[in-house]
Amino acid sequence: MKKKQFAVIGLGTFGYSVATELAKKGMQVLAIDNDSEIVNEISSYVTQALIVDVTDEKAVKEAGVADCDSVIIAIGGNIETSILATLIIKELGVKNIIVKCSSRWHLRVAAKLGADTVIYPEFEMAKKLVDSMVTPNILEQIALSKDYNLVEILAPQKLIGKAIKDSGIRRDYGVNIIAVRRQIPFINDEGQTDIKEEINMVPSPDYEIMKNDVLVVIGQEKSLEKLKKV
Amino acid sequence: MENKEINSKVNSETSHLDMGKFYFLNNNIDEAVAEFKKVLEINPVNAEAYYNLGLISESGNKIDEAKELYARALNINPSYKIAREKLEKLIGL
Repeated sequence: MKKKQFAVIGLGTFGYSVATELAKKGMQVLAIDNDSEIVNEISSYVTQALIVDVTDEKAVKEAGVADCDSVIIAIGGNIETSILATLIIKELGVKNIIVKCSSRWHLRVAAKLGADTVIYPEFEMAKKLVDSMVTPNILEQIALSKDYNLVEILAPQKLIGKAIKDSGIRRDYGVNIIAVRRQIPFINDEGQTDIKEEINMVPSPDYEIMKNDVLVVIGQEKSLEKLKKV
Repeated sequence: MENKEINSKVNSETSHLDMGKFYFLNNNIDEAVAEFKKVLEINPVNAEAYYNLGLISESGNKIDEAKELYARALNINPSYKIAREKLEKLIGL
């Protein structure tokens, strides 16, 4: 199978990390920036690193960006450059364009220009941080669609010691447990006590919920809200 | 302190530590915690007891508590590799 090709435009902290992490996963990565120092630095980690002015349509075309399966535009500092780059790359016919935005306006403009995905890491991280502080029993929350979420929640006291089939989690809260995470103590190779995570995917109805279990549940947002309050 | 007394103190510290680990590995968490606390009563600078209490807190998803316990183990023994790894992982390094 042909390796997927990615282009990362803008090699600030975010773009640099995306490019090097993609390369670590064995992907073909074209890394682009207008700063020669950073391009030199990343050149040994990625497939190709180029100094390109991304507001120059001809230069972007010559760099081979149009051949990539996905392009990540990670120009955070200069919104104007990011917008121009988005427009140029869209016109080149790239199938998947992801734009890292630095404000809500930037998000809206990038989406209107045809970006396939717009991300706002600072806002998303802030929201996650607030959620983790306000509801510490919620360890992770992923929006699956407008109404459905996947949530990792600490097993509520009320459910501990009950088998899933008797817990009433589906009847009372309208959510389904799709996995259970648990930390298991063991002795490592160096003879020290340690813990490792054990994941029980699709636990059986007889599975007994234990103290400290992390339940991975899926359901409608309003149902999950009800469960969070237990 | 006489040699005999020192030996008995060390033995007691080691045996409580071993008992703590035994209980922890068998998921008897309350007993494990009690044993590790006894270790710390005998020797308040036993890094391993703090590390094990950290593991118990982490496995109970008490992350702030676990971080503090790993940090205590490291304060006592800065070259405690596994405690450092655990702490760094929880901080997000």
